[in-house]
Amino acid sequence: MLAYLVRRIAAGAVTILGVLLFLFVLFFLVAKPEDVARKALGERAPQQAVQQWIKNHGYDRPRFWNPEKPTETMLVDHFRRMLSFDFGTSDADDVPISRRLREGIGPSLSLTLPLFVFGLLLGIPLALLVAFFRDTYIDRAGVVVCVLLMSVSALLYIIGGQYLLGKMLRWFPISGFDPAPAVIARFLALPVIVGIIAGLGDSVRFDRTVFVEETSKDYVRTARAKGAGEGRIMLRHVFRNGLIPILTQIVIAIPFLFTGSILLESFFGIPGLGSITVDAINANDFATLRTMVFIGSLLFVLGQILTDVSYTLADPRVRLE
Amino acid sequence: MNGRLRAAVAGALVVLVLGGCTNDPYPSADALERILYQPFDDPPKTLDPQVAYSVVDHMVIGYVYDTLLGYHYLKRPFTLIPGMAEQVPEARELEDGRVAYRFRLRPGLLFHEDACFSQGGGARTRAVGAADVAFSLARVGDPAVGSPVLETLGKISGLVEFGKRLEDRRKNDPSFAKLRIDQQYREAGPIDGVRVLGDLELEIVLDDAYPQILYWFAMPFTAPVPWEAVAAYTGQEGVESFAEHPVGSGPFVLARYDKRSRIVLRKNEAWYGVTHPEWKAPAATYPSEGAPGDAEAGLLDPAYVGRPLPFLSRIEFRREKEPIPTFTKFMQGYYDASSVIKESFDRVIQKGDLSPDMRSLGISLARSVEPSISYLGFNMDDPVVGAKGGERSRKLRQAMSLAVDSKEFLRLFANGRGIPAQTPIPPGIFGYDEAYENPFRQPNVERAAALLVEAGYPEGIDPATGRPLRLSFDAGDTGAAALLQFQFYTAAWRRLGLDVEVAATSYNQFQDKVRRGAYQIFTWGWVADYPDPENFLFLLWTPMGRIHGGGPNTANYSNPRYDELFVRMKAMTDTPERMHLIEQMREILQQDRPWIENYYPERYALYHSWVKNEKPAGLSLPTAKYLDIDAAERALRRAEWNAAVTWPAWALLALFVIVVVPGVFTFLRERQ
Repeated sequence: MLAYLVRRIAAGAVTILGVLLFLFVLFFLVAKPEDVARKALGERAPQQAVQQWIKNHGYDRPRFWNPEKPTETMLVDHFRRMLSFDFGTSDADDVPISRRLREGIGPSLSLTLPLFVFGLLLGIPLALLVAFFRDTYIDRAGVVVCVLLMSVSALLYIIGGQYLLGKMLRWFPISGFDPAPAVIARFLALPVIVGIIAGLGDSVRFDRTVFVEETSKDYVRTARAKGAGEGRIMLRHVFRNGLIPILTQIVIAIPFLFTGSILLESFFGIPGLGSITVDAINANDFATLRTMVFIGSLLFVLGQILTDVSYTLADPRVRLE
Repeated sequence: MNGRLRAAVAGALVVLVLGGCTNDPYPSADALERILYQPFDDPPKTLDPQVAYSVVDHMVIGYVYDTLLGYHYLKRPFTLIPGMAEQVPEARELEDGRVAYRFRLRPGLLFHEDACFSQGGGARTRAVGAADVAFSLARVGDPAVGSPVLETLGKISGLVEFGKRLEDRRKNDPSFAKLRIDQQYREAGPIDGVRVLGDLELEIVLDDAYPQILYWFAMPFTAPVPWEAVAAYTGQEGVESFAEHPVGSGPFVLARYDKRSRIVLRKNEAWYGVTHPEWKAPAATYPSEGAPGDAEAGLLDPAYVGRPLPFLSRIEFRREKEPIPTFTKFMQGYYDASSVIKESFDRVIQKGDLSPDMRSLGISLARSVEPSISYLGFNMDDPVVGAKGGERSRKLRQAMSLAVDSKEFLRLFANGRGIPAQTPIPPGIFGYDEAYENPFRQPNVERAAALLVEAGYPEGIDPATGRPLRLSFDAGDTGAAALLQFQFYTAAWRRLGLDVEVAATSYNQFQDKVRRGAYQIFTWGWVADYPDPENFLFLLWTPMGRIHGGGPNTANYSNPRYDELFVRMKAMTDTPERMHLIEQMREILQQDRPWIENYYPERYALYHSWVKNEKPAGLSLPTAKYLDIDAAERALRRAEWNAAVTWPAWALLALFVIVVVPGVFTFLRERQ
């Protein structure tokens, strides 16, 4: 397993380096530093201010090759910064990006964690329930509802949720965020409810398929032959064995809890990392954007490795070689 | 899942849901406070007054940093009034031909309390002096600060040279670069045109006459800044940056700065308007006179006239990225003012006025034409549409100008909000003439067709190719809404037989095209920095040419006669003679047509009945110090409008019980 993990980590490192190279090409070859500077300083900034900005941000250095000082190129600086986690300052407002990440991670986790936990606590039992009634009208209706839920755009859930629960019924603030413990739930309730409903169809349908497949296996027949009740079979046997493939979905999602939710954060005004990403796109803030993409790719690779490891933990029959 | 865990999860769910059972986004303790709630979209880029140039930056620093001069809140056209200075200074010509302005600051003005003043112990504030204004001007000249207004304020004698000296010393002398910032400025100084004549007296000397300089002293760029704050908040080694930690002397103090979600300004109890009401300082007292119609609009209410400012205890800015939730919160009473979003326009505005629904809620509508213009421009360096084409190109431009119906454009794309433009100068600015009608801005397809014949393009056909004349409309927006607008123009020109292709690219690519001069026709806009015709007419002045000078004259228009008139006009104050010069310049532009003046945007703002004294300025000015809030009325209205509707929750619960309970019983029965 150790050899497998080393191989996996090495492959992940190569992937990360590839992503970094791609980011460099995308951000520093396609776009001109002057455009980034103008976006940061405004249309009316005189040329002198633009040149000063480019100099202050180190975008005046040669891109690939500097015969006098080979290490002072934009390419070397890009890799050095990212790999040493010294992300520098934002192109939009010169705020240290590491500080921005620290500020954003709390609001993001305060949204994604309850969304994740309550989504699982609602989705898995519902899937189990639908599977319990397999081949009945409840099962068929459940699948239809799931497909319907999956077919609707997340945007519609957000706008619909804001309209119904925020505007018509006036249960929650339509948007906003306040990290104070006394009021944070007031602001998170609506995005969490909307997020759970938006993701419910997909998770229930997937989990149901897994559970239904499990119910046709030999050990279930054996349990039935031994006289075990249907409820006990579902909870004790089908649920536990069905969790293995479901675990894949869960573990791979865990690292992304840290990157927040772009849509929910934007629409509900939650100042998390998803919102930072959108702001960076709108502001041509390449320094922040490349950091977010880099972190996203790191978390993806991490998620993949964790999923493999979790397999072996959940199912002793699986060996990583 | 064991019982304890299950109970914890259920408890968390209950707290999450029950905790959210009110749509009030604010603490209940604030309900009766005089707080103005405003949304903002993009966060401020910087709070450094010498650098900040965007509306959202000024939304904050306009209150934190006080200025030497200000604008009268009610009078139109805009009128300068004294702010921190005791008087608006008069220009004085020096013996060497240069022009000087002498400011005298009010005594006893204080900076906001801040730790930067007490680093060696002692008081947390100090008095504002003339040296602080000089320090701010030195910052404008400092290349490391990167002030966007150096070019303009470079008219101050010696400011640009000071910046060069500073840069050279920093480059050649490492020990100089390590000196404290005020010491660097002192050693690289003095600045010839910035003379500190005493604790409170400052003289500014300009190389040439430039009366508009006074407007810059009503903007944060020249606001006094304490050197202690710049030296302390370096932004290095974990220390905050000065761009995020402003220390000013304005009527509000920055109390909280989460720029990505919430910005709070608190009333400055040490502001001279509060501590010295007996001064009746114009910028710190509610005005007693205004423009015609202000008294009828309730803007000269005796309850406010002559009272010291500000009235509000706090200004709360909350970030809202999406317009629909923002407007909904306005309708719920959680924002005090709002623009009219396009999604709700028909509900809000009916028959050109506020709808009865809105009136019944006590909402009022304030319209204001912004001191800005949207225009279509021709690249005058282009051989086909530009000056090189001579009379032929001029007639082509005239014809194209006649084809664009701005009134129809406004109806289709702006719900009629705007005034078709006739000249570059918008209403509210000296030089605007309501009676003037530009003969080439009255849509007339027949006349346009005749002009095309004279230009040698009968029915739009280019005789060189035998096909419709092919032109390019270059734009830096590929969005669906923008493309529709571009198609409106090209369709108008197609009616003349011209084949104008929309070449829409990303904004960066468009910028690159503009830099290379690879464009023919474009659309652009301009918002005034200050209310003077010079700030619009300079957009067509030769030295401002985009390709050759990197300036905002994107049409690259160059006309010696226009330039000569402009130079004379810009050095004058608002007199009939100045108006006469503007009329001559207008005549030149009318014939030459480097621009097709499109429209002056009109802003519709909605206010709740509890907001008092609102008068939109159009310019980005810190006017909230004049506003007041009737918090009791607001609390009453909010309670009335936001009572939670709970019956659907009970209905859902009942449905749950009806569906689930029999299911549980069935399950248990089957199990037995």
